[in-house]
Amino acid sequence: MAEGQQRLQALSEEYTSLQQELQTNVASRQKLESQQQENKGVQKEFKSLDDDANIYKLVGPVLLKQDKTEAVLAVDGRLEFIDNEIKRVEKQIKEIEEKTDKVRMEIMQIQSESQAAAQPQAAA
Amino acid sequence: MSASKGQGQTVNLDSLSTQQLSQVKKQLDDELEHLTSSFTQLRAAQAKFRECLRSIANGVTPKIEEKPILVPLTTSLYVPGKLADPENVIVDVGTGFYVEKSTKDATKFYEAKVEELANNLKDLEAIVQGKSNNLRVVEDVLRQKVLSAGAPAAS
Repeated sequence: MAEGQQRLQALSEEYTSLQQELQTNVASRQKLESQQQENKGVQKEFKSLDDDANIYKLVGPVLLKQDKTEAVLAVDGRLEFIDNEIKRVEKQIKEIEEKTDKVRMEIMQIQSESQAAAQPQAAA
Repeated sequence: MSASKGQGQTVNLDSLSTQQLSQVKKQLDDELEHLTSSFTQLRAAQAKFRECLRSIANGVTPKIEEKPILVPLTTSLYVPGKLADPENVIVDVGTGFYVEKSTKDATKFYEAKVEELANNLKDLEAIVQGKSNNLRVVEDVLRQKVLSAGAPAAS
């Protein structure tokens, strides 16, 4: 009985930490999404620009002039990186969800077992 | 994006217990709060772009050339200056990139932004409305449940 309690405690602790992990991952997924949107907007804007347009990049407090090709490359690179990051985070989220499901099942099993064990006691 | 009850698969609200109902209600409350704050943020962003449009229209025209202006260095410190180029402005297009545009193009750019946000706002408004309808229905069912249970529990 005490063993079951201990096991249950450990499992619920694991469950909580998994939930927290899930939350941080979901938050970073959301952050990536907004970054992706912003970069896509910039990409679209660059496409509509002339090749000799003046593009500046904010570096610290100053604006540095940049080539259009360079700027386009930078944005494309960023988008690729963000895409990969999104894939990575989504995989992680899926894994955590699977783990959470497993732990939840175990908790439920232990609970029903302890309930079944408690019933004869109550009857006695 | 968010999986909520009442979407995808239909769940008969009457079949849920009071506890489950209040859980659904809480979830809807949270969603609604999030959506409303997003709505306010979109509004604020739109107002900012409108402000930019106004600034270009009033501040960056050939009419202003040769006229002295006061440039704010801080909110309380100004230095006199002169607009060197009334034709072009530098526009922040996001992620640290700035593009030099003619005032006409910049106006177009900001108008497109305002328009885009207006569309987003419209979509969001429809979603908020749907959610508040859901919430109202859930609240109604919950109230009936509590009343019919005879328990004057304050929810």
